[in-house]
Amino acid sequence: MNAITLNHVNKQFGGVAAIRDLSLTVPSGTICGLVGENGAGKSTTIRLLMGALRPESRTIEVLGTDSFSPEFLHVKEDVGVVLDEAYYPEVLNAVQVGKIMAGTFHRWDAALYDGYLKRFSLPEKKAFKEFSRGMKMKLAIAVALSHKPRLLVLDEATSGLDPIVRDEVLEIFNEFTREEDHSVLISSHILSDLEKLCDYIAFLHQGRLLFCDEKDRLLEEYALFTGTAEQLAELQSDAVVGREASSFGGVRALVKRRQVPAALKLERASVEDIVLFLVKGEKNR
Amino acid sequence: MRALIKKDLFVLIRQMRMFLVIIVVFAILPGNSMTVFAVVYTAMLPYTALAYDERSKWDQMAAMLPYTNGDIVLSKYLLGYLLMGCAALLSLAAKLITRSDPSGMLLGLCIGLLMMALTLPPMFRFGVEKGRMFFVFLMVLLGVGGTSLVTGITESPNTGSMEHLLMLILPLAAVVLNAVSIPLSIVLYGRRDR
Repeated sequence: MNAITLNHVNKQFGGVAAIRDLSLTVPSGTICGLVGENGAGKSTTIRLLMGALRPESRTIEVLGTDSFSPEFLHVKEDVGVVLDEAYYPEVLNAVQVGKIMAGTFHRWDAALYDGYLKRFSLPEKKAFKEFSRGMKMKLAIAVALSHKPRLLVLDEATSGLDPIVRDEVLEIFNEFTREEDHSVLISSHILSDLEKLCDYIAFLHQGRLLFCDEKDRLLEEYALFTGTAEQLAELQSDAVVGREASSFGGVRALVKRRQVPAALKLERASVEDIVLFLVKGEKNR
Repeated sequence: MRALIKKDLFVLIRQMRMFLVIIVVFAILPGNSMTVFAVVYTAMLPYTALAYDERSKWDQMAAMLPYTNGDIVLSKYLLGYLLMGCAALLSLAAKLITRSDPSGMLLGLCIGLLMMALTLPPMFRFGVEKGRMFFVFLMVLLGVGGTSLVTGITESPNTGSMEHLLMLILPLAAVVLNAVSIPLSIVLYGRRDR
């Protein structure tokens, strides 16, 4: 079963297309990273799949249930969501948030929540408005995990966290997917995080899905070339995905590994390199 | 739903402590006008709760949680009914102890219920900031209409019977309008920013 299925989804805001013909599948038991620049449609996609926005045309299923069916209300019990900000009333403290969520989720585990509060060193009685951004995100993550979801949907959940906590949080997400039927959809600007964590990378650009592929296949398919413009010109034109001038008058390019001669020296491309060159390539079209 | 009411109570108790004390004091003070004020004031607390929700963008979070639009809307009406009920009960207890006329409590309940029924739908559709304009408009309308009505009744030769008629019509209108207002608010809330 797929954890998430979006089929030909379109969404407009005031006549302007925010999502165009988006089809995306996240298989159960995998972690999918949603990548894209600001305004690419990542948060809109998350709001659409949780039924918070109505698309113009769609098939959207989460854990095998239509997001706009009455049954989806029960499915939401199985989905832990962390948005780009933790939108809890600012005067509440962590204990009060826990009490509200205990009344919201049938499977709320108060002991698990307390454990996360301790693990993240979150104060129990301090008002939420006095939390730092990192603390707010940690509270949101603790809430998302404490009702024992099968799917985590994370919108920029690691931004604002310091590298040590970020690493700890990524480890928690990794732990989460050790259960066979647990899945994660995570959007992030921190592409190194996604490279560490994800099985699949989906790349949104101006509301359109440019690709959704296995991370390992992407890293295998693309490589970085650094050399002279003359060397690059000798390659097949469709082997070069994107290029930029490098220091000392040379060029740096993202190339398709299989379409360049084996003798040519290439470097490993990171997910960040691949995404950046693809965006530049799109803009230069 | 109980979780949503609990959230609003946590917020109101934390932020409006002083105002809640004032409501309690006004509810138990002698005199009908104080009672009316206390009960009507509690009817406005759902707007305050809505305003805090908007400030923290709670509605975005709530859309991700297992709540229906009905839960979200109904919780605000129930919050208003609950708080008005508490103020009315306090006032009734005080009136019983002091053996004074408790009719101000019923008038306060009717005005509060009518106010909620008429002003919550626009607030759910347009938000508290824009909805407040409608509230001010309604207050002016109620003020002018209420004054004319009271003047008409007191100048009428059948003052007593008209008062009785009014005390029958007002509760009925409050109940009917609330029964219409709740489903209307649910529909309007569903159309917001979608």
